[in-house]
Amino acid sequence: AFTLVITGVSSFFVLGLPVLVGGLLVARAFADLERRRIGPVLRRRIARPTYRRAPVNASWFRRMGNPMFVGQYWLDAVHASVVWLVSTVTFSIAVTWWCSAVFGCLYWTFGWALPDTAPVGIVIGDRPLPEALGLGGSLGARAFFYAAFGIFFLGTLPLVMRGLAVAQAQCGRALLSGMAEVRQHISGLEEGKARAEVQREAAVSAEATALRKLERDIHDGPQQRLVRLAMDLGRAQQQWDTDPEAARRITAEALAQTQETITELRALSRGIAPPILTDRGLPSALAALAARSTVDVELDVAEIGRLHPALENTVYFVVAEALANIAKHSCATLCRINVEPLGDRMVVNVTDDGIGGASLAKGHGLAGLADRAQAAGGTLSVTSPLGGPTTITAALPWRAAGQRR
Amino acid sequence: MRVVIAEDAVLLREGLVRLLAENGHQVLAAVGDGPSLVDAIVAHRPDVSIVDVRMPPSHTDEGLRAAVRARERVPGAPVLVLSQYVEVSYADDLLADRTGAVGYLLKDRVAQIADFLDALRLVASGGTVLDPDVVAQLLVRRRREDPLRNLTPREREVLTLMAEGRSNTAIARALQVTEGAVEKHVTSIFAKLDLPPDEEQHRRVMAVLTFLRG
Repeated sequence: AFTLVITGVSSFFVLGLPVLVGGLLVARAFADLERRRIGPVLRRRIARPTYRRAPVNASWFRRMGNPMFVGQYWLDAVHASVVWLVSTVTFSIAVTWWCSAVFGCLYWTFGWALPDTAPVGIVIGDRPLPEALGLGGSLGARAFFYAAFGIFFLGTLPLVMRGLAVAQAQCGRALLSGMAEVRQHISGLEEGKARAEVQREAAVSAEATALRKLERDIHDGPQQRLVRLAMDLGRAQQQWDTDPEAARRITAEALAQTQETITELRALSRGIAPPILTDRGLPSALAALAARSTVDVELDVAEIGRLHPALENTVYFVVAEALANIAKHSCATLCRINVEPLGDRMVVNVTDDGIGGASLAKGHGLAGLADRAQAAGGTLSVTSPLGGPTTITAALPWRAAGQRR
Repeated sequence: MRVVIAEDAVLLREGLVRLLAENGHQVLAAVGDGPSLVDAIVAHRPDVSIVDVRMPPSHTDEGLRAAVRARERVPGAPVLVLSQYVEVSYADDLLADRTGAVGYLLKDRVAQIADFLDALRLVASGGTVLDPDVVAQLLVRRRREDPLRNLTPREREVLTLMAEGRSNTAIARALQVTEGAVEKHVTSIFAKLDLPPDEEQHRRVMAVLTFLRG
């Protein structure tokens, strides 16, 4: 008894397990085949699952027996078992339908040759169906009836065949790629989340950079001027009685300072939220930029009407900073600005005929632009070979004036 | 007085030069960054230097650090530091070597020309001057137990003015009382705070500040 039990148990493990693994591998092979077939039937891409390999330093047993430990193999095996049943059913129905169609449509060709007593066609009790329905037992009636019968089946044949194919394919899809689809969906969601995170960081970085620049500009500009202004007025006050001429001269200088301070503040406010952009929109604001530029500008803005403020801002600042960069570094003589919609994006192109060599790296003038574009959900690219010409392209998602994201 | 100016904003540098010239002082050098300041102080040994905190190359506290370096090389070189905003740690750094002849004012004070020139003279003669806003912040940084709780409101006022570096005469004028009254207050304050009384201006400021910083 002991021998028998041991033989039985050990043969199960020694013989059985390899056979099981082999079976699973075969199941996978057929499943791969089936997946290829399902795709065209359902007219969609079938998600191909990944069959996990054993971890690199796993034991020999783990590696050899890998199919047993991976879920998808078992699903493939289940499918192989179940599909037999499903396809038998669909096969039977299909054959029946075909035969009915053919038989019915062609009855009139051979019906006359059949002896009356032959049990051909559908019989209710002893009598053929057409007779039972009261159409009479004549050949013509029978032929007519079966022809109608055949036409009905012929007509519904395409539908039925399609239905059967889809049913079988769906069953296959559920088992063979169900898990893979869920995984794909999850990784799609995770990718979307990662993209949103990157976008948020770009937005935060762009804002922080802009604010710091603003502080510097205020400090270096209007703030200094106002301190100097206070000093000058103090000096004028000091000299009022002792040297009125000097006092008058200092006051005149102070007045000039005030004017320059106002101009600087106006420029600063343009750098924060240009009034012309808010009031009149992109075409006018870009025209104003072009007019102020030291380099000649060819402006080409499509008829786009008002857009979402965030989009208008981004386009404006991309162009403004690109122009500033051109004026500072490029030694260009002509610059072409092009703003037009392309599909679901707004595309901004700034090209100049300067010396090239621009880059998006940190420290160059364009680094902040990429952040801005990314913060708005778009992309920025720079083509700038040494010797020129340079092209900056921003593609930003289109947002209409009242649209929420 | 012979003055060195360190200020990177051209407008302000020029304004200071004119201001000093109009008031009979001589500007020996007007520089725009830290290293140049150190060189100028070492080379010219001015009576006082006016230094802006924020200068190249670092644009953070370059001026302050240059002033400290200069005073290492020329001990006791009088320095009046100007900054755009109050930063109490700057006061710490300036007072760290405890040799006096330092001042820390906000740039805005420059417009009050008479007071500014007084402060300049005080620093040049070895005194210590602190901007009222700086003192106000120092008074805010309190420990749990307020050691000033024993002082009357009037005495607090006197304490504040002392910390700014004012003399008894100046305090009397500011509070519109007699000098005698101020002296009585001062004695009372030092007694209540358990500080040794000291006439010398700089040491008085240092004592008060040390006390306030805890």
